Amino acid sequence: MDEMTGENININEQLKEASTNALRCMQCGVCSSSCPSGRHTSLNIRKLVKIAGRSSDILKSDELWMCTTCYNCQERCPRGIDIVDTILKIRSISAYHNIILPEHRAVCQMLLKYGHAVPINDDYKIKRTEMGLEELPETVHKYTDSLNEVKELLTSCGFERFTEDNTDENKTMENTA
Amino acid sequence: MRIGVYICHCGLNIAHTINVESLRDKVSELKNVALVKDIQFMCSDSGQDSIVQDITDLDLNHILVAACSPHLHEQTFKRVLEKAGLNPFMLEMVNIREQCSWVHMDDPQMATQKAFDLIRMGIARLKLLDPLQLKKIPVKKDVMVIGGGVAGIEAALTLANSGHHVIMVEKEPTIGGKMALLNEVFPTNDCSICVLAPKMTDVNQHPNIDLITLAEVTEVSGPVGNFNVTVTRQPRYIDEDKCKGCVDECGRVCPVEVPNRFDSGLGKTKAINMPIPQAVPQVVYIDNEYCVGCGLCKLACPADAIDYHQKEEKIEFTVGAIIVSTGYSHFDASRKPEYGYGIYPDVITNMELERLLNAAGPTKGRVLSPSTLKVPEKVSFIQCVGSRDEQVGNPYCSRVCCMSSMKNAQLLKERYPDVDITIHYIDVRASGEMYEEYYIRSQEMGINFIRGKVGEILQDSDGKLKLRYEDTLSSKLYEEPTDLVVLATGMENVKDADKISRVLNLTRRTDRFFSIAHPKMRPVDSHVKGIYIAGCASGPKEIQVSIAQGSAAAAKAMQLLSKGELEMDPLSAHVNPDKCIGCGICADTCKFNKITMVGRKAVVDELSCMGCGACSASCPADAIWMRNSTDEQIIAQIHAATEVKSESPLIVAFLCNWCSYTCADLAGTSRIQYPTNTRAIRVMCAGRVDPSFVLEALEHGADGVLVAGCRLGECHYTFANYNAKQRMDALKEVLADVGIDPGRLSVEWISASEGERFANSIEGFVDYLKKIGPIGSELKEAEQ
Repeated sequence: MDEMTGENININEQLKEASTNALRCMQCGVCSSSCPSGRHTSLNIRKLVKIAGRSSDILKSDELWMCTTCYNCQERCPRGIDIVDTILKIRSISAYHNIILPEHRAVCQMLLKYGHAVPINDDYKIKRTEMGLEELPETVHKYTDSLNEVKELLTSCGFERFTEDNTDENKTMENTA
Repeated sequence: MRIGVYICHCGLNIAHTINVESLRDKVSELKNVALVKDIQFMCSDSGQDSIVQDITDLDLNHILVAACSPHLHEQTFKRVLEKAGLNPFMLEMVNIREQCSWVHMDDPQMATQKAFDLIRMGIARLKLLDPLQLKKIPVKKDVMVIGGGVAGIEAALTLANSGHHVIMVEKEPTIGGKMALLNEVFPTNDCSICVLAPKMTDVNQHPNIDLITLAEVTEVSGPVGNFNVTVTRQPRYIDEDKCKGCVDECGRVCPVEVPNRFDSGLGKTKAINMPIPQAVPQVVYIDNEYCVGCGLCKLACPADAIDYHQKEEKIEFTVGAIIVSTGYSHFDASRKPEYGYGIYPDVITNMELERLLNAAGPTKGRVLSPSTLKVPEKVSFIQCVGSRDEQVGNPYCSRVCCMSSMKNAQLLKERYPDVDITIHYIDVRASGEMYEEYYIRSQEMGINFIRGKVGEILQDSDGKLKLRYEDTLSSKLYEEPTDLVVLATGMENVKDADKISRVLNLTRRTDRFFSIAHPKMRPVDSHVKGIYIAGCASGPKEIQVSIAQGSAAAAKAMQLLSKGELEMDPLSAHVNPDKCIGCGICADTCKFNKITMVGRKAVVDELSCMGCGACSASCPADAIWMRNSTDEQIIAQIHAATEVKSESPLIVAFLCNWCSYTCADLAGTSRIQYPTNTRAIRVMCAGRVDPSFVLEALEHGADGVLVAGCRLGECHYTFANYNAKQRMDALKEVLADVGIDPGRLSVEWISASEGERFANSIEGFVDYLKKIGPIGSELKEAEQ
């Protein structure tokens, strides 16, 4: 580690606080062998639990984003570790420090622009009318005034930070790791 | 009243710091003191002899010895009094070495003053001492053993061979417990029943053992040494004296086929059956859950042993001690649905495998996959099913499953060399004599070990089982077919543990097993005097340890009953029925359940009372009298301590006999120096300290009061310091309410080994009291 800036200590502290439960792990492998995502991706949830709370490397791991949050592992963990909840907390910390994938950023932009992570497109509009539904669903798609309210809400809680690629903070992160 | 005071120099240990001559002169002026002597070594023969001589010559009737800690020589001087014909309880020891000269070496003047104050306090108590008589109660030498497994058998035989009459109560129709069902046992691979059966037979034939089967203990009352026991026996529907155990005759004609629970339900038996071939007693029994009462067995029995009219029966007797060896039950594997036990036929438990391997089992010793009835080509053991698993509330390790799975794997391999065996483990626990060697042998035999608990078992459309697991050492995930899965199920306390703990008043740990009196130092004592625990009743254990505990519990019972009488503890509580208002608070306070309410008056079982005094402190009517530590004696000491305020701040310190007094002594032997401001009063337990004692001290001018006890959870009386904590917490609030700084009451939980901490806490307390000024300063400030 180069130097301990305030920000770095902050990240490590946050990660530690989010993962106290994970320190009880005995590495038995019930989580990994119960994981449906791990059968098709490079995710080994046991390895994530092993470093959770012990190293900020977890923020650099692509696998952090591969968990489908099915909770199979958490339900079976013999040490009662809240594995998925911990992963979600770590993801929040990661996002807060702007360490997210470009795809996440794109989704956030969608949300900010349309009020939907997956907005409606022309194909769906046609499908809806064919099925006898209104063209637009009962959401901000239909009520544009409300869309402005959603935007206001998101902006007021600083949601925009997820849409901008803040390279400075990324550098901070590299140092930490 | 003629008091003799003896001040010991202890060579220079005391005399180097304390001015013994001036102390002697000051003490000689005190009222009722007939003689003061200072002697080089009080504990020497000449020192002791001079006390005996003075008692006779000068007609002394109260003796005070100011010397070392009473923990060292109280017994010595009690014997001296006895020798001189004086009641040994007329002695008071004042500790002027460990708690004075050794800890105030830099301040001889104040050390001498403190010694004088301590002697004055001692004299105040001495004047109120009663010449107690040790009452002796005759005890019954018989012992009851509950549970006839290997631990109980060992205990019963050890006692019976030593001349004690033993009553063994067994719930099942046969003794032998779980061990009688095992095939072979590690680490020697002996045949289990071959080593156990002779002992089972010994139990039945021993002239000193009465065996009651199909029976449960339903009531226990009375004190240690004389427990009144009621046992409820279920009908066997067989005259045990007539049955010859031929079972073929009656079993053959019985039309009711039932799953054999002694085979874990794998095999079949009849409603009238012999539970296992080596059953003791060697008589059949009728399972009334299944019997249809057709009468065919009665016609077939050549011995006319069948009696359908037997009824449930109550048997009453008295025993001096009780040994609880009630064993364990297996974790129900169907509680782990991911393994499909009870759904997939080829998923079995280790106990079921034991029965399959057993020549007397349902398959006559052949191991077959239940779905195909063929010898499996691949067998997979899954460890820690229901152990080390918080999802099912069992965080503990069951200790034997690693070894028993290896044992069963070895036996399988010996019988079927081609079978492919894998043990899926989290950690291999093979810590015992010859266990690691056993592990190595298992590996050498070609048994595979994979580190990683199996996540789930699937079944494909052909009925073939597949294991999903990660080999955590290579981080590879597998989905692998197998023929037979063996679940190493963990141990749990028996199903009726609730009932047992209620009847015997036993406490249980969070893992639901019965707790022992100290997790390290008292492995077979329960919290109840005269009740001992052996084997898996207090947690998972292998056979070796259960046998050792059976012997240990027997030895403890023998020690208790060896004299044929028990001395009533002079420290026990006693209720004055005239003062008792029948509120029942004391009965709630006594977690040993030794106080009962009889006709709206509290009655203490004085023989079993532990003597902590928590009840006495809780009594709102001051009706409970601690014989050798009365309220009057303690208050007299408080008054003596505060009568002359020889020092400021002045602290009255209540130290529990077991931890805090001992750690104050340790500070002395380690020569850790601390301020002279404390005046200690020894109590048996912090729970003895009545809030009124604290108030009395503060009212009479003490600037602070220290109450110190064992660390929470380590109390000599198990629960009593929690009692103290509750009381002292409430008292602090009261102090704050009346405008007194609650910091004047310091409460410390200190272990006997923390001499340094004790000294530091006194130092800190003195500093604090100096800062806030003498008692009452805060009230004056408030007025202004």
